Amino acid sequence: MTTATATPAPRSLDSIRLSFPGLIRSEWIKLRSLRSTVWCYVLIILATAGFSVLMALSANFGGDDLPQAAQNSMVAQYLTVGGNFTGLIAAVLGVLVISGEYTTGMIRTTYTAAPGRLSAYTAKALVLTVVTFIVGLISVVAALAASIPVFALNGVSPDLSNPDVLIALIGSAGYLALIALLSFSFGAILRNSAGGIATAVGMLFVLPVGINIVYSFTGATWAANIATILPGSVGAALYQYNGEGTEAAPAVGFNADGILVLDQAWMLIIFAAWIVLGLVAGAILTKRRDA
Amino acid sequence: MIELQHLSKRYGSKLAVDDISATIRPGMVTGFLGPNGAGKSTTMRMIVGLDHPTSGSATVNGRRYQNSAAPLHEVGALLEAKAVHTGRSAQNHLLALAATHGIPKKRVHEVIEMTGLGSVARKRVGGFSLGMGQRLGIAAALLGDPHTLILDEPVNGLDPEGVLWVRRLTRQLADEGRTVFLSSHLMSEMAQTADHVIVLGRGKIIADAPMTDIIAASTGNLVHVRTPQTADLARLLTAPDVSVTSRENGLLEVSGIDARQIGESAASHGIVLHELTPVNASLEDAYLQLTNDAVEYRTEEVR
Repeated sequence: MTTATATPAPRSLDSIRLSFPGLIRSEWIKLRSLRSTVWCYVLIILATAGFSVLMALSANFGGDDLPQAAQNSMVAQYLTVGGNFTGLIAAVLGVLVISGEYTTGMIRTTYTAAPGRLSAYTAKALVLTVVTFIVGLISVVAALAASIPVFALNGVSPDLSNPDVLIALIGSAGYLALIALLSFSFGAILRNSAGGIATAVGMLFVLPVGINIVYSFTGATWAANIATILPGSVGAALYQYNGEGTEAAPAVGFNADGILVLDQAWMLIIFAAWIVLGLVAGAILTKRRDA
Repeated sequence: MIELQHLSKRYGSKLAVDDISATIRPGMVTGFLGPNGAGKSTTMRMIVGLDHPTSGSATVNGRRYQNSAAPLHEVGALLEAKAVHTGRSAQNHLLALAATHGIPKKRVHEVIEMTGLGSVARKRVGGFSLGMGQRLGIAAALLGDPHTLILDEPVNGLDPEGVLWVRRLTRQLADEGRTVFLSSHLMSEMAQTADHVIVLGRGKIIADAPMTDIIAASTGNLVHVRTPQTADLARLLTAPDVSVTSRENGLLEVSGIDARQIGESAASHGIVLHELTPVNASLEDAYLQLTNDAVEYRTEEVR
């Protein structure tokens, strides 16, 4: 369409294009320009470090008498146990990143700039996951720095060059990132902060415990089996320590009592399935619904 | 240029937009007028792909907005006063928006200055007044230097100076050859801004005409005539396209003939006139008349 009386637009803007790298930059600006996001991340780092120190203080037994493998196992497990709490923060953050745009109306600006929607959805999910993973790594480093001197006082010193220890620690950062990603999909599906947070926290942290209580009272194996495959249960496989001295992987399948038993690989597969399911459902709804 | 072809939108059992077709041309300001709930916002949202049409299509410069390589350069849209995250500063909001298209920071500062947001740009949007939010929305719409502007109730919440500024801005943008499409439920505002008007009522187009035609039609030529000889005058004025009605004793309302002709006929037949007043029906009246049957939420008359 040519226009008869158009004065030339500023030349620099004639070449602008919507691009995926541009959407990534945009989502990064959005993520770091909200106080709530920044606070969530700071809290994750502080909580991970603080928890590790508390755990290290309690490690006042054995000491030099413990074999190195046991010391490694202790440190790996003590440093990742805080994931139950920091995962909660990551879940809330993951929901808010998308639901906050719906509740404030910002989503209309986002989708007007990127009317295909799925590119913006993908960029948002990617930035959230990568940044949360990096924050998770920083948390682990902070936790090590804070707790190793305390462990040392109790005569425990891990071998940080041991790949099994490192995999568990890096896995805990991955756990945070993927919990945030799964929660993001809940936020995208529900488009509502309260509902999204309730669902994410319920699925990840409340239901596994709640259903186990049902099981302990009624002995209903189906309840226990549901709890086993919930994302909060299978996700823990990410920071499972598999070093020397840990028990051999159990036989996968239903045991004599009808209870489902999973090994680490199956837990990871089921966790991945949850995430794919959530993201695909979120994407379909994002594309089809009116914004 | 925006083209709407048999565009419809149904929400449940309610037909919000009912098979509308129209062309919004570049180089002029096109007003989109209608009472609240007439379907103006829904139509605008369908143009930029936020709502999916139930049937029909809307295209911008010949293609669907979703297929544009640079949507922000194609259309600048102000759809709601605050389509902004309340926790973010105005500047960061615009920077994030600019990043999607690789728009330089310089342009962000340009639109901040242009819309008078300089002093509050670093403040969080949550604390903005309606007028400030509106200015930020306009800044966001202008950011990509768009060929087409879609502004939903742009003067809502603005102070008189801001209203004047929007009026001048839309005029200037249209004069530059851009397509400017703005909605309002206020006829008086439209009269001062728009070159062309599309009137919407209950999801249907009631009128689509140049502003001058709407004004001409609405000012009609209604004349109040007060005379003691109403019957004589009424008989005298009778003609196929002249209508004469009597509201009260001694007062005639005449249309289809102007005051000068009435006065001259009366004089040549020796009829005494006590009053001869051309009544300019206001645009507001014309609008109310146009949309009278098409108001979604009507207020009950106060008794």
